[in-house]
Amino acid sequence: MRRTLATAGLLVALTVPAALRGQSPDTGSVAGKVTLTTKIRGAALPSTAYPTRAVGPSDAKPSPEMKNVVVYLNDVAFRGALPVRRAELRQEHEAFVPHVLTITRGSTVDFPNDDPIFHNVFSLSSAATFDLRRYPQGESRSFTFAKAGIVKVYCHIHSHMSATILVLDHPYFTVPGNDGLFEIPNVPPGKYTIVGWHERVGERTGTITVERGKATTINLSLPVEDSK
Amino acid sequence: MTAGRRPPRLLMKTLAVTFATVIALLVVVFVVVMLTVRRQVREAVTANLASSQRMFAALETRRQRELVAQAATVAESPTLKAALDTYQAEVRTISGAKKTQLLTTIDDELKKVAARIDSDALVVVDMRQTILASAGRLGNRWPVGRTVAFTANAEGNTFDGIARMGGEPFRTVAVPLEIEGTTIGTLYLATSLDQNYAEELQRLAGTRTAIVSDGLLVASTLSAEAARQFESLVAVAKPVDGTATLDGESHAFRRLVAVGDTVFYALGSIDETSRSATREAMSNLALIAVGAIALALIGSLWLARLLTGPIGRLSSSLAAMAASHDVTTPIAATGSSEEIDALTRTFNNLMASVAAAEAQTEAAYTGAIRALATALDARDPYTAGHSERVSVLSVAIGRTLALADDDLEVLRLGALLHDIGKIGVPDQVLMKPDRLTDAEYAIIKTHPVLGARILKSVPFLLRHIPIVELHHERPDGRGYPNGLRGDDIPLAARIVHVADAYDAMTSARAYRNARPSGDALRELWRCAGTEFHAEIVGALANALPGVTSDTGHVLAHA
Repeated sequence: MRRTLATAGLLVALTVPAALRGQSPDTGSVAGKVTLTTKIRGAALPSTAYPTRAVGPSDAKPSPEMKNVVVYLNDVAFRGALPVRRAELRQEHEAFVPHVLTITRGSTVDFPNDDPIFHNVFSLSSAATFDLRRYPQGESRSFTFAKAGIVKVYCHIHSHMSATILVLDHPYFTVPGNDGLFEIPNVPPGKYTIVGWHERVGERTGTITVERGKATTINLSLPVEDSK
Repeated sequence: MTAGRRPPRLLMKTLAVTFATVIALLVVVFVVVMLTVRRQVREAVTANLASSQRMFAALETRRQRELVAQAATVAESPTLKAALDTYQAEVRTISGAKKTQLLTTIDDELKKVAARIDSDALVVVDMRQTILASAGRLGNRWPVGRTVAFTANAEGNTFDGIARMGGEPFRTVAVPLEIEGTTIGTLYLATSLDQNYAEELQRLAGTRTAIVSDGLLVASTLSAEAARQFESLVAVAKPVDGTATLDGESHAFRRLVAVGDTVFYALGSIDETSRSATREAMSNLALIAVGAIALALIGSLWLARLLTGPIGRLSSSLAAMAASHDVTTPIAATGSSEEIDALTRTFNNLMASVAAAEAQTEAAYTGAIRALATALDARDPYTAGHSERVSVLSVAIGRTLALADDDLEVLRLGALLHDIGKIGVPDQVLMKPDRLTDAEYAIIKTHPVLGARILKSVPFLLRHIPIVELHHERPDGRGYPNGLRGDDIPLAARIVHVADAYDAMTSARAYRNARPSGDALRELWRCAGTEFHAEIVGALANALPGVTSDTGHVLAHA
């Protein structure tokens, strides 16, 4: 429902490049601000029979909705060895933290269990289909993502837990700050589609041209309720 | 009188009256019972529907809660949710085997639980209400790709509603599929409102049921004709309850529950229920009727005996009285009832009057005869007072012989009349001073027979006739008219014979003087055994002194 409503709230604003920050002379940068605009909660049928079983809200650390937004470039041909890293998707308070994780293809993600209960990690996504079995507190499993795409991760024991891992085959992505400001540095000059992504809304795109030594600015408006 | 060849009429009348009363009573009771039964059945059916509704409402609430719980459990399936969520995240970017695989995952999850869930179809839709997967007995009625139109029940539970698929209404429970507080789809548990549902409803509610959806009757446990009539009745008005004649039978109906435009009715046939209740009442009534008739029979017989018993006793008393000719002894009162006793008293009074009248008549007769005898005696101065004297003498002799009072009375009157036959003897013969010729003596000798003939016309003088007829018979058989011997002659006739002779000898005649009593007795003793009975002569001798002193005037010229 949220996704259906979101299509109406599509708003992409393009503005003139503003300032240039310190970067390599061969590249430019993209900067801007993501705005979470409307309340998009649909008229979902309320459930009273089985409220979602979860550790109480006071236990969970409130995470700004902005942290679930990823800004990245599309159609980038990255040449050379893709920088890989080891990322972490923790399981605490019956939730995956962070809820959205972006990595480069070939990176490995650890899934440590911090809860005093068993957890499980599995995915049915086409980019990575796996099941890391059940394991207790203090243990961890890892998986190396060899294919780009969106990977949805769930816990087989706790059906309300989910996380999204964006696997990109370039390093030009970022998560905006709490204030919505973002910057993607060291972008090779060229014409790109910039994507503002949120798991419930999907993509909001804009077209930008990155010039050498310049900073291109773009503001993205996503119809996502800010839970703050 | 209570038993016999002919049935007593009184008994028949008693029975007839009693039976008529009992039958009239039974008819009245029957009518009252029938009316009461019908009214009570109507109330009972209505009350039954009301209680059915309450029970059904409770059951239905629980059933819906259970269905919601089942649905919620299914909706918690991690595989189902993960597959659905993944499918929706990738639906635009994937195709072919991978897409099919995700849908199959959803489908398999549904099929796995469908077998264990009490509903006809298990359906998963996305946020656009498009069917992604369906399972269950009627899962094929919910084809993938179709959009579900779900009307949630406005009252109460928002998960309860009616969904239409291919024109068919389904009772549907809906629960959202959620991940981290976000709805990713909806799970439907749908139950077809078909004949099975109506029958199950009937089983739960304990009454006939009908389901009307959007003005159309979709299922019912009524007969086809009754269902058609009920449909036209409730299509427009949607009444909560009421009564209606369906297929010729009176029904009461009540709304069990309404979900959106779909209404569930419970119906009870008043006629059907009253038939069994009436049957029961009839069998009870028949039992009562048999008992009442038996009691009436016993009561009637007892009553009849009560009435006919005393009448019978009175009647047999009368019969005994008639047989004994004893009209003087009063019949004893039975004491059984005032009326019978009054009847007895009246009868006794009547009989007393009859006896008095009879005595009076007898006295009149006797008087008349006595006058006749006196007149006879008066024809001849020599025989004046003769009959009277013979009578007194005879009674005196009879007393000496210790005769009964009754016999003495007969003797007295018989002796008085002993010569009554002489009335037919001519004066010239009777009063002839000279000796009689044989012919004349023959005439004289006819007087006993003549006297008997005269007395035969008087019924109450029957016992006196032998005295009159036989008072000239002799023990030696030389007497007249029959020439009887010894003991063949009645005692009274022997007595009168002796008394007559004695008086004749002691009385003067035209041709001789009176002889003294002693001479007369001697003469009698001389002839005792031949002409006179010796014991009578002896009795006369013993009686004479008393007679002479007591009746001196009668025997004055003795």
